[in-house]
Amino acid sequence: MALLEIHGLIKDFGGLRANDDISITMERGELVGLIGPNGAGKTTLFNCVSGLHPVTSGRVMFDGQDITDLKAHEVARLGLARTFQVYVASGDLNVEENVMVGCFMRTRSPSRARARANEILKDLNLHDLSEFRVSELTVAAQKRVTMATALGSDPKLLLLDEVAAGLNPSEIEEIMADIRHVHEDMGVTVMLIEHVMELVMKVSDRVIVLDSGKKIAEGDPETIVEDPRVIKAYLGERYVREHGGDIG
Amino acid sequence: METIKNALDFSDSPRIDLTIAGLVALFLLVFPIFPHSAFAMATMIQFLMFSLYGMGWNTIGGYGGQVDLGKAQYVGIGAYTTAVMLIRWDVPFWISMPIGMCFAVIWSFIIGYPLFRLKGHYFAIATIATTLVLKDIFEVWDFVGAARGLEISPIKYIPPDFLRLIFKQDVYYYYVILGFFFLGILYVNWFRRSRLGFQLRSIKDNEDVAQSLGINVHWAKVKTYAIATAFVSLVGSFHACYIKNIEPEDTMSLDLSILIALMAMLGGAGSLWGPIIGAGILIPCKSYLKEWLGAQVGLVGIDLIIYAGIIMVISAFEPRGIWGIVEKVRRRKRS
Repeated sequence: MALLEIHGLIKDFGGLRANDDISITMERGELVGLIGPNGAGKTTLFNCVSGLHPVTSGRVMFDGQDITDLKAHEVARLGLARTFQVYVASGDLNVEENVMVGCFMRTRSPSRARARANEILKDLNLHDLSEFRVSELTVAAQKRVTMATALGSDPKLLLLDEVAAGLNPSEIEEIMADIRHVHEDMGVTVMLIEHVMELVMKVSDRVIVLDSGKKIAEGDPETIVEDPRVIKAYLGERYVREHGGDIG
Repeated sequence: METIKNALDFSDSPRIDLTIAGLVALFLLVFPIFPHSAFAMATMIQFLMFSLYGMGWNTIGGYGGQVDLGKAQYVGIGAYTTAVMLIRWDVPFWISMPIGMCFAVIWSFIIGYPLFRLKGHYFAIATIATTLVLKDIFEVWDFVGAARGLEISPIKYIPPDFLRLIFKQDVYYYYVILGFFFLGILYVNWFRRSRLGFQLRSIKDNEDVAQSLGINVHWAKVKTYAIATAFVSLVGSFHACYIKNIEPEDTMSLDLSILIALMAMLGGAGSLWGPIIGAGILIPCKSYLKEWLGAQVGLVGIDLIIYAGIIMVISAFEPRGIWGIVEKVRRRKRS
C-alpha cells in the first residue's frame, strides 16, 4: 500500500485553477522532488494535502486513510508533517522550545518532550543553538530548526517547502546532508519542493514537475532534465546547455 | 507529581529575579505587621487582586496573544454568584466560589466557542460587546438586584467568619488574597511550560504552523480562555465578600476590562512576572492619583487619561511591556 495517494486533486481559488487534476503516488521510503516554475501550484498542493486548504475535488489518501476532509491538525496527528516556506518564528520561544512544540504532539509530559527535542537537535547538530531565539539565527539555521520542529512529531511523511531557498552553496550542502540523514537514517519518507536544482537532482529518487497547476512530467532525475516539456516549462535552455548530461 | 514539581520549578529564571521575587514575597508576608494606614492596606489588597486578574488575562492574552477586553463579565459572574448565594441561601464563600467559577467557565465556553472564529481586533471588539450585553442584562434583572446591585450586610454575621469570608479587619482579606496570589503564580509557572502553554505560544507565533504541528488551534484558545476566566471569576467572588456591595457598573464595566488587560500589557504580556509588575505600578498610581488629584483639584478622570497614555506608549515603543525592556537589556548585555 502506498503511503500517500493523491487522486485527481483540483483546487480552485475563485476563477484560478491552482491545481488541475493532479495524481501522485508515493511509496514508503521514497524521496520525491516536486519542481516547477513560480506559481505552478506546488505550495498549494502541499496546503491541500496537509489540510490547510480544503480541496475543490479529488481525494487524498494517507497511510490507508482518506484525509481529504480532515483538518490540518488531524492530518498532522496521523503522521504527516510539513515545513513552511516563509516562516520566521518571531515570538518568545527559543530553538529547543520550538522543537518541543512539535514533540508535544506525541506526549503530554514536558520533560519527555524536552528529552525528545534534545535528541533531535543533537541528531541534526543543532544543539549548540538550543538557547537562541529563532529570530536570532541565520536563515540556514532557521530552516533547519523548522525541519527539526516538524521532525519532533515523529512523522511518517515530511513535506519540505523550499528548505534551501536563499542559502549559500555550503549551507545547501549542509541541509542536503540533513535531508539525507532524515530520509535514510531516520526512515522518514520525504517530498520536497525546491528551486535549487542541484539539491533536487542529487537527493531525489524521483522528480515530479508541475506547470500552471498541471503535472507535466514525472520520472527519475536523469530523465526529467532531458524531457523537452520540462526544459521548456521550467529549466530553460540555458540550464541544460550549462550542465549537459552530468546531472545526478 | 511532575505537575507539582514543574509548578515549583523556577530554575529557568535568573538568580537575580528569584532574589527580588523572594524579597517581594517576604515583604508581602510581613507587610501587615508594620504600621500602615487603612488606605495603604486597601491599596495592597487591590494590588493582589489585580495581579491575579492580570495573571489570568496573561494566559490567553499574553501567552496566546488573543487580546481579550471582556474579562469584567467574568468578574461579575463570580461576584454575583457568591453574593446571591450568600444573601439568599447563606452559602459560604468556599462553596459559592467554585460554583461561580463553573458558571463563569460555562459562560466562557458559550462565548469563546463562536468568538474564537474571529481574529485580532474583531475578537477584541466582540469580547467588549458580550460584556456590555451581560452588564445590561444584570442591570435589569431583579433577582440579582438590577442596577441597585446587592449588598452583603455584615451585621448578620459574626466576624471573623472564615467560611463566609466576612471580616471586620482588612488584614484577614489581605492574607486570603495573598494565598490565592501565591497559588496563582505557581499555576502560571506550571502553565507556561505545560503542553497547552507551549501550544499557545506557538499559536501566537503562527497559526498555520501550529496547526501543522497537530495543534487544534481553536480548541486550545477556548480552553485557555476558560482558564483565564476561572482566575478572574475567583477574584470576582473574593471582591463580593471584600467590598460587600456590588453592582453591574463596577464589576462588569468596560473600565475594569481594560484595566485588567492593561496590567498585563504594561508589565509584560506573555511573561510570568509581567502582570505583577504591571499591577504593582498601576494600582498605587490609580489609588493615589484618584485620591490626590481627583479629589483635590477636581480632576476627575485623570486616571483614565493616564491609562490611555500608557496604552499609546506601550504600543508605540515596547509591545512586550516593562518585562520586554528588561529582557532586551539583558540580551544586549549577553551578546
